[in-house]
Amino acid sequence: MIMPNDKTSVQLNEEEDIFYKRESIPLTPENAVFTRSAGGLISLEIINANGEKEFFERVAAVRSFPITDPDYYISIREPDSKNKEKGSEIGLIENINIFDGKTVELLTSELDKRYFTPKITKITSLKEKLGHIYWDVNTDAGKFSFVVRNAGSNIRTLEDNRVLIFDIDGNCFEIPEPDKLDKSSYKKIEIYL
Amino acid sequence: MDTNMKLMYDLPQKDEEAFLAAAQTDEKRMYCLPYDIEDTEFVKGFMLFTDKAIYKLLNGKLLFRYPYLGMSDFTNEIMYGSVGFYAKRNGNTELLCRFISGRNLPRYSVVARGCEALAAAAANKTEPPEPLTSGEPERYCPKCGRPYLLHTKICPFCRNNKDVYKKLWNMTRGLHFMMMVPLITAIISMIIRFSLPFVQRTAINDYILNDGRADNYLLHFSVIIAAIVMLDIAQRAINVLQGRISAISGNRFVRTLRALLFEKIETLSMNSISAKTTGDLMGRINNDVGVVQNFMTNLLPTYFGQLFSFILALCLLLWLNPLMCLFVFIPLPIAIFAIAKFRSSMQRRNMHSWLLGQRTNHLLQDVLNGVRVVKSYGNEQKAIDDFEKTTNDQAIIDEENGKLFDTVFPILGYIVRFGSYLILLYGNLMLFGGSMDVGTLNQFNSYANIIYEPLMQITQIPRNISNFFTSLSKIFEILEEEPDVRDIDFPQNIEIKGNVEIKNVTFGYETYDPVLKNINLSVKAGEMVGLVGHSGCGKTTLINLIMRLYEVNAGAIEIDGVNIKDISQNSLRTQIGVVLQETHLFSGSVRDNIRYSNPHATNAEVIAAAKAANAHDFIVNLPEGYNTMVGEKGFSLSGGERQRVAIARALIHNPKILILDEATAALDTETEKLIQDAINRLAVGRTTFAIAHRLSTLRNADKILVLDHGNVVEFGTHKQLLDKRGYYFKLVMAQKRAAEDGRSLDD
Repeated sequence: MIMPNDKTSVQLNEEEDIFYKRESIPLTPENAVFTRSAGGLISLEIINANGEKEFFERVAAVRSFPITDPDYYISIREPDSKNKEKGSEIGLIENINIFDGKTVELLTSELDKRYFTPKITKITSLKEKLGHIYWDVNTDAGKFSFVVRNAGSNIRTLEDNRVLIFDIDGNCFEIPEPDKLDKSSYKKIEIYL
Repeated sequence: MDTNMKLMYDLPQKDEEAFLAAAQTDEKRMYCLPYDIEDTEFVKGFMLFTDKAIYKLLNGKLLFRYPYLGMSDFTNEIMYGSVGFYAKRNGNTELLCRFISGRNLPRYSVVARGCEALAAAAANKTEPPEPLTSGEPERYCPKCGRPYLLHTKICPFCRNNKDVYKKLWNMTRGLHFMMMVPLITAIISMIIRFSLPFVQRTAINDYILNDGRADNYLLHFSVIIAAIVMLDIAQRAINVLQGRISAISGNRFVRTLRALLFEKIETLSMNSISAKTTGDLMGRINNDVGVVQNFMTNLLPTYFGQLFSFILALCLLLWLNPLMCLFVFIPLPIAIFAIAKFRSSMQRRNMHSWLLGQRTNHLLQDVLNGVRVVKSYGNEQKAIDDFEKTTNDQAIIDEENGKLFDTVFPILGYIVRFGSYLILLYGNLMLFGGSMDVGTLNQFNSYANIIYEPLMQITQIPRNISNFFTSLSKIFEILEEEPDVRDIDFPQNIEIKGNVEIKNVTFGYETYDPVLKNINLSVKAGEMVGLVGHSGCGKTTLINLIMRLYEVNAGAIEIDGVNIKDISQNSLRTQIGVVLQETHLFSGSVRDNIRYSNPHATNAEVIAAAKAANAHDFIVNLPEGYNTMVGEKGFSLSGGERQRVAIARALIHNPKILILDEATAALDTETEKLIQDAINRLAVGRTTFAIAHRLSTLRNADKILVLDHGNVVEFGTHKQLLDKRGYYFKLVMAQKRAAEDGRSLDD
């Protein structure tokens, strides 16, 4: 691994554009200002590792622990759909709540879009056919129908009793407290828990 | 059959009106796609793309109309389940809409490209291009919108069973007679069964109850008894016959179907094979054929016989005594209701137990595979606890189920047969009143029992039929698939010299995601070309295309000036030799493996090939030399040895084009040297394409092609590229440094 700061030889400089990774910095209210971009997304201005001001028209926010610790270690990245592996992390927010309320709201609205996880409030129908489970549910985001394959691995009960359900389209649904569902809904999913 | 992914959805009436109100008169519709999420709600909105602008419509309202001018960078960003469709508008990135990834990402990927083209046309004031189409097959049922079963075009809700049945009939043409026999024997067996109670009635009424008052009592009675015995024997004989014929027809059926399937799978192109997993294909050859066979030869005659006997018994009961017949049916609705109710709960319970079993299996696999890790971290107790917990869960459920089933089934059986008490009661009342005789009552009872028999199974029939049709559809899906790599009608068999020309080739495994973009490359006979680039840049793909395992999406590959599409696949592949990183040796001897591509090679040729591959020495030192068994159950060779066998295999048919895909990547330096020597020797006079991560192995290459993200970034000799101090130079330097670091660690 080549360290980006190690600039001892001429050759290394020439390798930079293939192997160079931006140095990620901890983002705090002191060095980072998030604003709503003209296109309705998030812009960011930071003071980078070299003490220079840098502006990003649009940044993406990604949770490191979306399921267990959604408010901690939020990675702020340059959106780069083509090259996911290239280091494009601008910085890491250790705890979102160190920012002021407006910024938190801005970031949270963006994060909630990314981690769209409707909560199931009622299961109206659940049919099993040929290893596929066909669901009709009410969620806090409206009524929806979806299909789950491999119930064993795609219906997950977490340690805090929450249930996550992943459908074949890649959607994720949550049942926060399965035992608080109405009786007929609970009976339908009981065996999968 | 091959329907491409839909890119033009119909707008609902309200959205249509909203669109028409906002659109200019001469706008041409290009694409129309649904989107599924707005803010934090599921919605049914539509994105309409005309040749002039993008419209976002939701429930009869126009949310925006964006003309293409000033727009760029149309991208799909995969989030978590959903995908955002973004674009830059006058320099600012905007989120245009959000949709569900599995359902719509392949569609939006095509449309994103289409939008780029439309935006470019708007910027250059040129004619807008024609709409693009997707090469992907549709994965969602057009009727109900539910997804098809994995790797199929079968919607379990909308499939047409009649069609499938017709195909089965046509395919099993030679077996029709065989298939009819079980049905006929089932009928004969039923008729015999029904005549038995008749004879019994005569025996009871005329002889047993008459105390031998008739003439020749003994003789007549003997005849009757003999008839009963004969009928019994005949019925059993028929059953034996039916069993034997089922065995024959069943096996022929399976053989025919499996052979057809296997033949088809072998001729399919890599594209459709790799879309299905090995497990899936094996499942179709083994399980699905088994399900179909079981249904055709066992279940169908049984159901048929039962239906036949039910109707016949019903007629006879009505004829014997209509009123009493009613008693038979009184408990039936309750019984059928109870059975249906209990079956669904039973299925749920069995499912539960099965799921827990799966969980146990999974855990077991996980822990046994990782037993070294478990031990080295001293985590045995945790593994034991985990395992005990899951097996315990399963045991509790299984125990519960067992107790319940063994209680409920006898009770259900009792309810079903409850009618027979009523018959007994009423029959005996009639008997005492003199309006019925004992023989008739006995006969009636026998038929009533026949009616009860199929009832216990009746709720299972729909499930069995459904399974049968699914398996059958899956089989037909393979049988009817057209391989996309096909020989043209009169393919050429050419003697390859080895000039390879790649012209403007574009290719992607999923057409919306090209892996190679507009590649041009010209290689003269006998040259060695090294392919370089980080993983995923398209090296292996390029090689797959040269072997024509896949068909290019655009452009052409020519060998000696002939498009490879015009060369017969057989002629092409027999003149290409391949050595891959992962060498698969088939079960068999070393000799069999070496002459895999040329089974008639002489021993001398085998040895010559092995010598050229630096393999002869280790082979003769094996316990049985060239006859040593290798492969799954045989002698295990080391990675380097297997690799050399593979090289010998590639050499034996003296290929004009040689392909080495990471042939030395998994080997230690010393073995690599041996193999490198072998490769250098065999590359002489052959056009060689070599992929290597260790760039030092490509020193001898005539030319080096550097790929990045599907594009050619550099092409030239090793020296030229080093002098250029570009991408290749940086890669070489980085590897050199990494090697030096490694060495300094060793010190």
